[in-house]
Amino acid sequence: MCGIVGLVSADFPAGELPQIISNALSAIGHRGPDGSGYVVADDFVMGTVRLAILDQKAGIQPISDEEGRYWLCYNGEVYNYRELKAELEEKGHIFKTQCDTEVVLRAWIEWGEGCLSRFNGGYAFALYDRRTKRMVLARDRFGKRPLFYHVRGNALYFASEMKAFLAIPGFAFEQDPAQLGSIVAQWTPLPDQTGFKHVHSLPMGQFLSFLNGEIACHTYYQLTFDSSRQVTNEKDAVEQIRAELDKSVSLRLRSDVEVGVYLSGGIDSAIVAHLARQYNNHDLYTFSVTFEDSQFDESLEQNLVSQHIGTKHLAKHITYKDIVDAFPDAVYHAEIPAFRSAFVPMYLLSELTAENNIKVILSGEGADEAFLGYDLFKETILRSEWDDLSEDLRSERLSSFYPHLAHYAGGSNAAVAGLYQQFSKENMPGLFSHEIRFQNGRFSARLMMPDGAQDPFADIMGLTQSSGEFASMSAVQKAQWLEYKTLLSGYLLSTQGERMSLSHGVENRCPFLDLAVIDVAAATNLKFDNGFREKRLLREAFRADLPAEVVDKRKFPYRAPDTEAFIAEKPDYLDLVLSDSELSKLPFINKKFAGLLTKKLINTAPEKISTKEHQTFMFLLGIAMTNHFFVERSGRGASGKLGNLPPLQKVVDLRT
Amino acid sequence: MDNKIRTFMEEQFLIEFDETFPENSNLFMEGVLDSFGYVELCHFLEREYDIKFSEREMTSNVLVSLTQIQEAVALKVKEKDNASAVEGR
Repeated sequence: MCGIVGLVSADFPAGELPQIISNALSAIGHRGPDGSGYVVADDFVMGTVRLAILDQKAGIQPISDEEGRYWLCYNGEVYNYRELKAELEEKGHIFKTQCDTEVVLRAWIEWGEGCLSRFNGGYAFALYDRRTKRMVLARDRFGKRPLFYHVRGNALYFASEMKAFLAIPGFAFEQDPAQLGSIVAQWTPLPDQTGFKHVHSLPMGQFLSFLNGEIACHTYYQLTFDSSRQVTNEKDAVEQIRAELDKSVSLRLRSDVEVGVYLSGGIDSAIVAHLARQYNNHDLYTFSVTFEDSQFDESLEQNLVSQHIGTKHLAKHITYKDIVDAFPDAVYHAEIPAFRSAFVPMYLLSELTAENNIKVILSGEGADEAFLGYDLFKETILRSEWDDLSEDLRSERLSSFYPHLAHYAGGSNAAVAGLYQQFSKENMPGLFSHEIRFQNGRFSARLMMPDGAQDPFADIMGLTQSSGEFASMSAVQKAQWLEYKTLLSGYLLSTQGERMSLSHGVENRCPFLDLAVIDVAAATNLKFDNGFREKRLLREAFRADLPAEVVDKRKFPYRAPDTEAFIAEKPDYLDLVLSDSELSKLPFINKKFAGLLTKKLINTAPEKISTKEHQTFMFLLGIAMTNHFFVERSGRGASGKLGNLPPLQKVVDLRT
Repeated sequence: MDNKIRTFMEEQFLIEFDETFPENSNLFMEGVLDSFGYVELCHFLEREYDIKFSEREMTSNVLVSLTQIQEAVALKVKEKDNASAVEGR
């Protein structure tokens, strides 16, 4: 894992390029504190800050082939690099390092863009061909690693984090109200969105080609959930799930440094920790967040799993004050407003991880999407069948979904049933599964000034319609597709995942995001049950290995205190959303609505604040904070504004 | 009565009924009502007007817009008053 930056065909004098690239690398120095390097030529510059995981001595970037025709800077890991290396060696390629970086370079030389479909990993890279003057940017299938780009005139700029663009003379961030409207309505940016004008995120499963000032984007991977895998009975299904996860974890343990595991308290990370422990001869480190507020805390299950498996367990205890204090720094690293504060404890957790000299962690991310772990999937099935079910059966299903709500409503599920009744038919083309979430998102979208021409859901409808596969999917598969394309990549893997872990130089790996694991899930989901017990087969697959309390525990969404923490702690930066003069810096924000919202929240008991009010407040604060850091370029509350350049290990000057 | 319900909804759900957001708007489709909000609304109406909504009423299309809510409440209050009058006689 590393960070990359670069540009091609810039209008700047070649003499200025080293300083520009050094400043850009400094801005993302936290991603790779082990070293850095760059190559500069008349027509391109690219550089890397390196987190040394494999072949720590030799794997210095950027690298090139013997002729110096191809130059590569690379971020991430291709876990099957050993197998690919053996294949390439058979074809006559000679390797100088034990790094996957060199495998990526050789694979490109051998197979061109066809290499991407051979890679099993999480990566982003830039590869420049000096002969054709073509720059390629590529990103892994699920968007594990970020890659942003900006085009100005005939120049292309790219970076692992947007803040690196501040090193470009004349560059200025400008928030995009239309994108922000879409983000707050859907909880997360769409694959190409960043919230800023003229700054793009390369979507997952795509590569970009830049030649003669022209950009062309290509998709090399499409989510399909089609599986030709033969699974004849439940026993077979369970065995295949175990085997694929075991393989996936063992691949992701490939590292020259120690690997730890994030334990949430749920079944997914417990499985990962259990499998990782099988391969560890020494103590396995596990890390967790625990909460002062018991409604968010899972320390009981975390300790249970740790003791059962036998890990060296460390926990970061989180208070309201911790969240409020770390919020500005976490937003600075996330670079995007988020719908909740749950990414902030992950920022603090990665700090704890780094302090214990663990550079690589495994997590359970992706299991809920693959094995239908979210309530959303059950809701989709139920709403699809709604008109065909008796009232008794509807009520029975709802009772199993929302026991807490029935309690809140005096034992009745009528409120949820009334809501489902309204959403039992598709109202938004293609978005049936997410309609309740998205319609609630309309509440948050009111933060933005009314713009009659802009429907916050227009872009996502365009995204689904542009996918050839989407229309033929079942309702549940559509729900999965939308989760992968929106919340997983746009928030869970990025804002809450990679951006927080890399803020402290920790690489995260997700065994559930392996094609073979997703394939076996697709082949078994709903084949042996009705989908109303989330992740049933996965639980059965590891029942014998883990404590029953964890195997049988109902899905407990990871959350952290939101509005209540900020109202209770009253940080000085709260004036970003409370003061008229500060809000005036956001001309696209509906000040009347923002004022009504904040006034109500300040005067409402925490337990009476609705989920969508929490989310709207968090978005408002996040929009104001990102504006503060990136548009206003102020630094209140955030540390490391320009970072420090890790020790330069390699400078190649190809200028004529 | 009408203003009381309207005021409650405007304050509770941070909306403003006007020509751009008419009283017959579907409050679920506009993202105003989620299940928690729906419970809050029904609690308010039942408490304020001393009425009770059946599960069937809550799960049908009776309480979808401000207009429909006002009509449903008015009808229930009238039924309650009639019943009280009969009991009193």
